[in-house]
Amino acid sequence: MSFGSSYLTLPDFQYLKPKSLQEALRLLDEHKDDAKILAGGIGLLAFMKERLVDPRWVVDIKSVSELQTLRDDGSKGLTIGATVTMNQLLGFAPVKEKYRALRDCISLLSDPLLRNRSTLLGDVCEALPYVDGPTPLLIFDAEIEAASVKGTKRIPMNEFIKGIAETALEPNELAVAVHLKAPPENSKSLFLKHTSSSEFSIVNLAALCANPSRPESRTVRFAYGAIAPTPKRVREIEETFRRKAPVPKLIDEAVQTIIRSAEAMTDALAKAEYRSHMLEVLTIKAFRRLLGS
Amino acid sequence: MAQVINIRVNGADQKVEIKDNELLLDVIRDKVGVKSVKAGCWRGECGLCTVLLDEKPVKSCLVLAVEADGRDVKTAEGLAPEGQLSPIQKLFVEKGAMQCGFCTPSFVLTAHHLLSVNPTPTETEIKDYLSGHICRCGTYKQMVEAILEHSRRYGQEKQATVQKARH
Repeated sequence: MSFGSSYLTLPDFQYLKPKSLQEALRLLDEHKDDAKILAGGIGLLAFMKERLVDPRWVVDIKSVSELQTLRDDGSKGLTIGATVTMNQLLGFAPVKEKYRALRDCISLLSDPLLRNRSTLLGDVCEALPYVDGPTPLLIFDAEIEAASVKGTKRIPMNEFIKGIAETALEPNELAVAVHLKAPPENSKSLFLKHTSSSEFSIVNLAALCANPSRPESRTVRFAYGAIAPTPKRVREIEETFRRKAPVPKLIDEAVQTIIRSAEAMTDALAKAEYRSHMLEVLTIKAFRRLLGS
Repeated sequence: MAQVINIRVNGADQKVEIKDNELLLDVIRDKVGVKSVKAGCWRGECGLCTVLLDEKPVKSCLVLAVEADGRDVKTAEGLAPEGQLSPIQKLFVEKGAMQCGFCTPSFVLTAHHLLSVNPTPTETEIKDYLSGHICRCGTYKQMVEAILEHSRRYGQEKQATVQKARH
């Protein structure tokens, strides 16, 4: 989390520690943009040291029991609460068995010490291009459950990130959980990324495939992130593979469709051309592993 | 805002006056006076400020002191009684797993935690587990050897204890 400044201290703020969801939502409704949510704190404290954010109130949600949910409902899917840490997820058997792309993504994030504190929803809500969490969530048709004093609603993952550090959350809303849909039977999924010299991704992807040789139940899903301001699911190729068998020629075309669909950006981490090239490399690798070609 | 927090540091209960915006790292060093917890990068990269918070390793530069209220903090000093070394500390010495020693307390804590949850780690697991730390002298190889040696000497016996605890 280095942006190059030498700040070693935190700006002044008042620390609040609600004991229930209701209390947390009331505080957020009262303070809105003047309040920041503290879960793992990895991003928040780093940004505060850099004076990129300077909240008057810091709301620590780790004592809110409703946010500690981690539940596998079999064919209905998986629910991950806002304060569930990355290491909790890595140690949760259903994640390892059925949500492989998410597991692979988390195992490559930062390091085991930071993962004792960092949370998946914190990663997602940071909404910076280089965070990895949103990409695997896209292929599991995830929805973010947002709550405010007025009630709760669900926001599909593909509508949640609006831009760099911008989410669909209102200032008085809290992301309380993420719901993943169970992947189809017999599916395999994976996550790949390429980082710049720092730990930040310049491109990542998640892909899923079920029953490649059975036309009636064949499913291919593909999403990428870190290449542009927002992550993206590529529905166009998913449709193609539904209609036609994944023969080498079609796979080559799909790779080209994916590259064309990505509006690669240039920033401090990498140039657009490099990002596009690495997306191509990773996409070929992903299809080789999933479709065996 | 100033307030008093209760923390247990290496087994001793302490009352410490802190401000909301103070980091656990600074409070442990400057107010509690434990200097084996080092300040390196202040941004979660180097791992030198590692402490065991309720027995789990965390980087204390990314933890608010107020978050540690009512909790247990352990540093390298807390791994063995005063004047003694724990088995993994002894093995770090035996294998020469340090040069300048600045990062050693943090690596020892993480190694201690790894061995407590996985008494017989593979070399790959060890390297992955230590990946949140930086040693500028480059004595990683010797640290991995020290942990592997710990596994050879005490692994089987510890494994039985870990499994018993799980059942």
